[in-house]
Amino acid sequence: MGNLSEIFNLGLFQNTLRTATPVILAALGGLLTEQAGIMNIGMEGMMLVGCFAAVAVSFAMTNALMGVFAAVMCGIIIGIFFAVFVVKLRSDEFIIGMALNTFAAGTTVFLLRSIFGVKGTFADKGIVPLPSVNLPWLESIPVIGPLLNGHSIFVYVTWIFVFLVWFLLYKTPYGFWIRAAGEHPESLATAGINPDKMKFIASILCGILCGFAGAHLSLGYLTMFAEGMSANRGFIAFACVIFGMANPPRVFLAALLFGFLNALGLRLQSVGIPSDITAITPYVVTVLMLVYIVTAGESKKKRRAKRLVAEQKR
Amino acid sequence: MNKFKIDYSYILSLFISIVVALFIGALLIMVTGHSPGEGYGAMIEGVFGNSRVFGNTVAKSMNLCLTALAMAVAAKAGMFNVGGEGQLYLGGLAATMVGVLMSSASPTIVIPLAIIAGAIVGGAFAWIPAWLRVKFNVSEVITTIMLNSAAIFFCKYLINGPLKSTEKGVLAATENVFVFKLAKLIPASNLTTALFYSAVIALLVWYVMGKTTLGLEMKVTGENPKFSEFVGLKKDKLMIWSMIASGAICGVVGMMEVYGIQGRFTENISNEFYFDGMLLAMIMNYNPFGIIAMSFFFGTLKIGAYAMELSTGISGEISQIIFAVIIFLMAAQGGFKQFFGDAFGKFKAKRYKAEETDSRFSMEELSDDMGLDDLGSKGEE
Repeated sequence: MGNLSEIFNLGLFQNTLRTATPVILAALGGLLTEQAGIMNIGMEGMMLVGCFAAVAVSFAMTNALMGVFAAVMCGIIIGIFFAVFVVKLRSDEFIIGMALNTFAAGTTVFLLRSIFGVKGTFADKGIVPLPSVNLPWLESIPVIGPLLNGHSIFVYVTWIFVFLVWFLLYKTPYGFWIRAAGEHPESLATAGINPDKMKFIASILCGILCGFAGAHLSLGYLTMFAEGMSANRGFIAFACVIFGMANPPRVFLAALLFGFLNALGLRLQSVGIPSDITAITPYVVTVLMLVYIVTAGESKKKRRAKRLVAEQKR
Repeated sequence: MNKFKIDYSYILSLFISIVVALFIGALLIMVTGHSPGEGYGAMIEGVFGNSRVFGNTVAKSMNLCLTALAMAVAAKAGMFNVGGEGQLYLGGLAATMVGVLMSSASPTIVIPLAIIAGAIVGGAFAWIPAWLRVKFNVSEVITTIMLNSAAIFFCKYLINGPLKSTEKGVLAATENVFVFKLAKLIPASNLTTALFYSAVIALLVWYVMGKTTLGLEMKVTGENPKFSEFVGLKKDKLMIWSMIASGAICGVVGMMEVYGIQGRFTENISNEFYFDGMLLAMIMNYNPFGIIAMSFFFGTLKIGAYAMELSTGISGEISQIIFAVIIFLMAAQGGFKQFFGDAFGKFKAKRYKAEETDSRFSMEELSDDMGLDDLGSKGEE
């Protein structure tokens, strides 16, 4: 039983927060496009470009903040690019998303080789990482203090983003229009709002959030760039969006759950269980969740129909 | 309606896309301080230079072609199989297990059995999302994406866990190169007798899809599921079986990777091969002939870029960029055509207005008729 306490300790939950953060950021972006009616599987690529831009600029300008800025700018450009193809040119969002992933993987490695002349990973003392937050007053609270304190700054920023995205979607007219653009674009157009414009906005916001995710991954979580370092996180984020039914708090919880599984997997490795077995869980759980959502939705519809019929008869 | 007319313009768009992408590739080569001639020259040298590299190119193209055909088979019946990567892994795993368990049997028995095992397991794994789609109407796109990662991590789990071997990332009992390797057609290359199996599969797919009632039924189901149900086709059965066929092909590709190229089962038996094939199939409109032709182009590009990197030091990732650019442009070709068509239509309408020669044409009629044919006829005027 000694092993159990070794696995389930504070470090596990600290790691959960750390590993979940990039996924949460990307998933927030993904849920915006999902709400706007675009199935975005290009988050992997968007993140990867953010990672590279952040590291390259942080290294060149010895300023982490400029790195983040560069990652966000790249995110905006990719968001516009994605929207132009998907919304304006009416291409298949799936093809564009997949091609975006390939393009990002190719471009970042190409630039890595051409600019820094290295293959594989680029880790240099010159890359300035993002600062961690250390609050003495938080530290003094037992349990919660060490759990929440001392993370990279983006861990905290992410929580604010969750609230902001929720606020945008459910408390502002723009959010309403974005949701309407996904659910019923014709009605939105009838109401005098251009649904394409809303899809554009959602894509650009997604690009920005994925840029943040990338910057956090390469400057906060790690301090380096590695080929393909987004390592399936874009797809996990996509799974979170589906699992959380594109609702910000639910997506946040889903990402935390998946982050927990990831952190648990890493710890299980120390007792000789491969982390891959826990890595399977998010995907399988998402499939089951999807089946549940669809069947529950169906039965809800049926129930409603039955009730309506009963009312009609009366 | 005029599908054949579109085909000509489609080939034209494809040609333009390739030219644009190669031009971008040339710019990138120039950025690295080399001349495009040197880069592309090294690419061609690396593909046709000797029989060994040519064999590798054919092997790579074959792989692309089969994965693309797998995508096409499912897509014909309206199923979107994104999960080929996972099916490939599991198929390869099953085929390897056959070899490991029957290590003392003769290759003439083991190899066909391995192919069958790969096909069955790949197909069975594809059945899950297909069944979920038909039974519960769960989008097969998302489930296949998820099951991909699940399958790959499962293989990694076996490799790192219960079936760990002395070498990292290699399945137990396959560390030393496998006993049952397919015979090589060109010495020292990756081209093996897998070519014949692939040719059989490709021909079969082309024949079934293009020449049989079954193919027509699949097509009808894919294009209009309601109509297919209405005329009494077994829609669900067709959808499930086309998905199983697609998974089976992927499983066989996995078998060929193990028995033909790598000679063992590793963590990385596929480097997102299926995704490349999938995109290729999509931009070729799931046309088997188009897929076979284009897979050679992309196979050449990939192997050539690899050789270019070795000989000149230019990053071989350029091939990935060129590939992605072609996909972007082809995915948007309809949109581009409409965009330019509209611009052209406005221009033409303006001219009509200015001359006021013919009032029979309204703007709508003009923009409806816009297409490449008008562009062509304009040149002849």
